[in-house]
Amino acid sequence: MGTHRLRVNGSWHEVDLPDDTPLLWALREDLGLTGPKYGCGVGACGACTSIVDGSAFRPCTTSVADAVGGDITTIEGLSRRGDHPVQRAWVEQDVAQCGYCQPGQIMTTVALLAEHPDPSDEDIDEALRDNVCRCGTYARIRVAVKRAACLARGER
Amino acid sequence: MLGRRSFLTAAGLGALVVALPVPALADAEGLVPNVFVRLDADGRITATAPRPDSGQGVRTVVAMLVAEELAVDLDAVRVEQALGDPVRYGSQAVGNSVTLRQTTEPLRRAAATARCLLVAAAADRWGVPREDCRARNGFVTHPRHRRLPYAALVADAAALDPTTVAVTLTPQAEWRVLGREAGRIDAHDIVTGKARYGIDVARPGLLTAVVARPPWIGAVPDVVDDSAARAVAGVADVVRVAAGIAVVAGSAPAALRGRAALRVTWTGGTPTADSRVWLEDLAAALPATGPAPGPVALEAEYRLPLLAHAPMEPMNATADVRPDSASLWVPTQDPGRLRTLLAQTLGLDPAMIRVEPTLAGGAFGRRIETDYVLEAVACSRAVGAPVKVLWTRDDDTRHDSYRPMSVHRLSAVVDAEGLPTWRSHAVSTWPLTTAPPFANPAVVKGSGDHFPYTVPGAVTVGLTPAPLRTAYWRAVYAGQFGYAEECFLSALGDRGGWDQVALRRRLLPPESRLRRVLDVAANRARWSASRKRARGVACHLDYGSAIAVIAVVELEDGVPRVRKVTAAVDVGPALHPSGVRAQVEGCVMDAVSTVLGARITVRDGQVVQSSFRDYPWARIDRAPDVDVVLVPSDAPIGGLGELAYPPAAAAIASAVAVATGRPVTGMPVNTDVG
Ligand code: FES
Ligand code: FES
Repeated sequence: MGTHRLRVNGSWHEVDLPDDTPLLWALREDLGLTGPKYGCGVGACGACTSIVDGSAFRPCTTSVADAVGGDITTIEGLSRRGDHPVQRAWVEQDVAQCGYCQPGQIMTTVALLAEHPDPSDEDIDEALRDNVCRCGTYARIRVAVKRAACLARGER
Repeated sequence: MLGRRSFLTAAGLGALVVALPVPALADAEGLVPNVFVRLDADGRITATAPRPDSGQGVRTVVAMLVAEELAVDLDAVRVEQALGDPVRYGSQAVGNSVTLRQTTEPLRRAAATARCLLVAAAADRWGVPREDCRARNGFVTHPRHRRLPYAALVADAAALDPTTVAVTLTPQAEWRVLGREAGRIDAHDIVTGKARYGIDVARPGLLTAVVARPPWIGAVPDVVDDSAARAVAGVADVVRVAAGIAVVAGSAPAALRGRAALRVTWTGGTPTADSRVWLEDLAAALPATGPAPGPVALEAEYRLPLLAHAPMEPMNATADVRPDSASLWVPTQDPGRLRTLLAQTLGLDPAMIRVEPTLAGGAFGRRIETDYVLEAVACSRAVGAPVKVLWTRDDDTRHDSYRPMSVHRLSAVVDAEGLPTWRSHAVSTWPLTTAPPFANPAVVKGSGDHFPYTVPGAVTVGLTPAPLRTAYWRAVYAGQFGYAEECFLSALGDRGGWDQVALRRRLLPPESRLRRVLDVAANRARWSASRKRARGVACHLDYGSAIAVIAVVELEDGVPRVRKVTAAVDVGPALHPSGVRAQVEGCVMDAVSTVLGARITVRDGQVVQSSFRDYPWARIDRAPDVDVVLVPSDAPIGGLGELAYPPAAAAIASAVAVATGRPVTGMPVNTDVG
């Protein structure tokens, strides 16, 4: 048990939890950030994907103790109005079916575009390969990633 | 005819509520209003979605129907989810692709009634004939008067006697919302993480439960030592539930730690069960078919595995059971039946039970069931607090109700051209343990047998008791029957040297919907210009809709990769085109996944797979291009959610057979299935 000081979406939070508690539960239950989804708890689905220090990571396999010191962004912190280029592309392409996997898909894409502003199909496969969408929205995700890249570059 | 009592007018609030009693949706007696469109005094429009949404976009189509008939933009309509109430709504089940077929007309009529009342109110105020007035963009207009916003007319419209107002639906030729491209109404909430699913439910004092489940099928707890579990910080109680032992705690991680600390020995059940043996048993139980009317040209057998539903959001439910009432928040496909069941279980008046369907992170047939809900109810009742029961991914994969295994033997007699003139299809499978009518072979046959070609023959179904829980899975038995039939037809075509599209055209009635979509798909996929590629084709006619699917496969280092899938689909009017395409795209990915690798196996009494790692649902790098063509027709609105799965699977498998030169013998292809 310990007090962990977490930086999430630009503000500081303190949680009292055993060190090995998965960060995902701290986010969802203690901070009320339910955007990162529980899909497997073992790093096998990508539904919880969020961003730490600019890189995509999995809060379900990261302990609260290990999360201390990182600058964490969840889907809730991605943009104030829901108008990040990736979010806009997702709405425009009508990507979601049930939507449950999409916060993870979106956060993975945000990290991908930070590294590859103009990703190839191989880059997309590589980055998103471990994000399951059980509803099968992949074809639209691919289009939306490319569209988001355009929007991020200020193209219309 | 519309009666005065059809309307609930909250006169004091000045709202106009059109509430139609729709017999087709209601239980026989006591017809109460069950379709709602409401205009508030400020003009705000609210529609009630009678059935839940687990990703098919029901809520969006409800908004589109109402926006169309009220002549407003889509974003002017707010959608409220109906609580579980079978007295009011009749069946609220989402399944068998019936949702739109049963709710479209009543919703349109309700919204059109509201529009006609608003027009009548404006005409009366102006003292002009009603025919001269129009509703448009939230206003009623007249050539000689200043247009009036709906908000200014709501009170007058609510006071009108609706029996005096003729109601007309907007003709399809004038649609501005329906049939047009539109995004899902929940899209913004989804991309910002605001969309609330069952797993996100938060209540004051909410506890979380996880259940220790049997380590082999059918086992029950023998000796339970919960002292260590109770000693875990945060654990509130340990409760016996139907499936095992629930650990209830103040948080999910505490409940999981508590469960890990439980010491349980188990007894009973089938600790040596093995799905390879089950498959052999099914093969041995294949029913006899009648004698063939000539020499059999080809015989083939297909073996299909267990499949799990594996929705992205694992099973969960939240219950707050009090002595005289209960509230539930559940991602469910059937809130109405759930309320009825809970009233019986708890011995309460149904009116005291509130079932709120949340958004569901996929369902695929799994959330028709109630097992996970009853766990939450049992826990809440025992601890006297609201409890959310949470299934881990491992629980969800290993303790699902599965699509039954099946073995299919098909044979055919052909004519001089190699065209089939007679066919037989013997099926050996299990019933659906979670849907009792399916214990009847005739019902299983009705679900599975949709052979659309003009070839006489016999389909015989033999059922043996299921060794584990089995349930609806997208397309139900059609997913198995259709797969076997189309793979067999392709094998027959190969044998006779037929072009697969030409073969099917010959066997389909001219002018038929299926032949039309087949031609469209073949054109679109440039069938005649791509002979060198490994291709497969299959058709399906079900739920009042018709579809043809063409798949192209390539080998990459010897591994089949689906490159392109083209589908032409006739669902009657496509109310929400993007949603129609999405359902087809989803079925295609289910087909890629199940034909090329995902299956459930059982060893030593236990399901082997435990997550998406070993139940390898296809990922983005295995996703083909999917091209869906909507073929308009005058047919009534058809069902769609499951339509594309059987033909997509068969087309892909047949293309793999061409690519690899190995005939299809089951699913996934080139595995030992069991
Ligand atoms: S919940 Fe984190 S990867 Fe699945
Ligand atoms: S949209 Fe349902 S899991 Fe991806």
